[in-house]
Amino acid sequence: MGVHKEQTTLVIGGGAAGIEAARMLGQAGYPVVLVEKSNRLGGVLNQLASSFPRWEDPVKFVEPRIKDLEQSASVKVLLESTVIGCQKTENGYQVQIKNINGAVEELQVGAVIIATGFEMMDLSGYGEYGHGAFPNVYDSLEFEAVLKEWSAGKKPEKPPVVAFFKCVGSRDRSKGYPYCSKICCMYSAKQAGLVKDLLPEAKSYVFYMDYRASGKEYEEFVRSVIEDKHVRYVRGRPAKVLPEDDRLLIRCEDTLMGVPIEVRADYIVLAAAIRPSRGTTEMAEMFGLETDAYGFIEPEPFQAVKVQERVFLAGSCGFAVETLGALQQGAAAAAQAMAVLNQAD
Amino acid sequence: MNATTSPVNQYFKALQLDEQSNSLSQEILQNCGVEIERCLECGKCSGGCSNTHIFDYTPRKIVQLIKVGNEDRLLQMDALWCCVACQLCVDRCPSGIDIPRIIDYLRERAIDRGIVPTRPNVKLFHELMLDQVQKIGRVSELYLILNYNLKSKQYLNNAELGPQMFFKGKLNPIPARVKRMDKVKRLFRPKPGQKGVAE
Repeated sequence: MGVHKEQTTLVIGGGAAGIEAARMLGQAGYPVVLVEKSNRLGGVLNQLASSFPRWEDPVKFVEPRIKDLEQSASVKVLLESTVIGCQKTENGYQVQIKNINGAVEELQVGAVIIATGFEMMDLSGYGEYGHGAFPNVYDSLEFEAVLKEWSAGKKPEKPPVVAFFKCVGSRDRSKGYPYCSKICCMYSAKQAGLVKDLLPEAKSYVFYMDYRASGKEYEEFVRSVIEDKHVRYVRGRPAKVLPEDDRLLIRCEDTLMGVPIEVRADYIVLAAAIRPSRGTTEMAEMFGLETDAYGFIEPEPFQAVKVQERVFLAGSCGFAVETLGALQQGAAAAAQAMAVLNQAD
Repeated sequence: MNATTSPVNQYFKALQLDEQSNSLSQEILQNCGVEIERCLECGKCSGGCSNTHIFDYTPRKIVQLIKVGNEDRLLQMDALWCCVACQLCVDRCPSGIDIPRIIDYLRERAIDRGIVPTRPNVKLFHELMLDQVQKIGRVSELYLILNYNLKSKQYLNNAELGPQMFFKGKLNPIPARVKRMDKVKRLFRPKPGQKGVAE
């Protein structure tokens, strides 16, 4: 039997994972349709000011990949489009894709890769931290935009005190989720270190219960942020934020000493729990996919990315992953799609 | 005591963490070459310490007090004078933090500030020991104990250990002097701008 390259693979979501899957399939000469809801490829990477563990600019890293997609003859990118319906057929799915003008395109596909990503938890339940009520209380993705501004030269007049709260909504069985969102330890270290890089006179505090740096070069990254960039890690979960003059007063216990601690900050950054995006929930419903108790798409037992016979996941629609993990899953999903399109009868 | 007159528990008064909090760890980095920021907060030092059972602050907590810059508590604490510099904490520390070096530094500072150890005779013992080192370059157990017991007026303190130590050769009535007393003298030269311990 030869290689069957006539069936199209549908990749839903144009973030790191989706781009990587589409790029690999395109390289191998398989027809791919990449559907992206927004007007731009790159997903969350476009919002980030830097990356861990090597302080690389994520845009510089995503751009050549987008170029690959543009140059590939077999990859078709549909921006500002969404998948609105699907029917199972003998060799895959019949799907309907709607673009921003309302035009609906019918497509027969042999494999589907879901890469619809995550969203940050809504923090309105955490009144004690004042997100949305006090100025200068951000969630981590919002703060990336502030960091981008500072990087571009629009720096605050006075060197600020920036406080990072980890585990806001994660590891919280009363108001949030019981799970660990996995990536917050690393990006909080990155953000806190970046503040010190951009504004050496500023002060960065990271409030933590523990830091989970299990990855290649991760522990070294966090230690260098503490020891070389002099970010102060305070062990304890902040209990309360109170506005005081122009600043924000943070109250917490230093659980290493068992004493209450007060810090006055200009900015507070909340590392909100990561949950499945709306797109993830919609696609799981549409394709009839297994999900876990929180709505993340669940692969088959002992499968890395395979959800069903012809459906695969990539990136944080399965669970929070860092960029590298998203790329790995994108590549794995592409390989699995190729395998299913070529399987012996 | 009624509620309105009861004193505030100073220990549970909120500690302010601000721009000045790291000045002590900066100072220790400059003067002792010890990087406090390397502390992993694991507590292996306290677990290994030979004297924690009489410490008010364990070695890990001492490092933590430096991190929060609580100098008053550090200089007032009893542990400052109970540490015997056995080096077990440094030996066990995964980050190689030299806690006895910090303790030495803090002791000097406490003496400079005129802070007297709360335990009786601790200062006396340290002075007598250093006095001997200054005179003969080493410690003679016999004369240190005799001197200490006389001056602290505890004439029979640990006397029962005397014969045992004597027969094991630990109490030499004729203490040996080190040969290069000039080098010992140099150790006791007061540093500029600082009052030496045995000045």
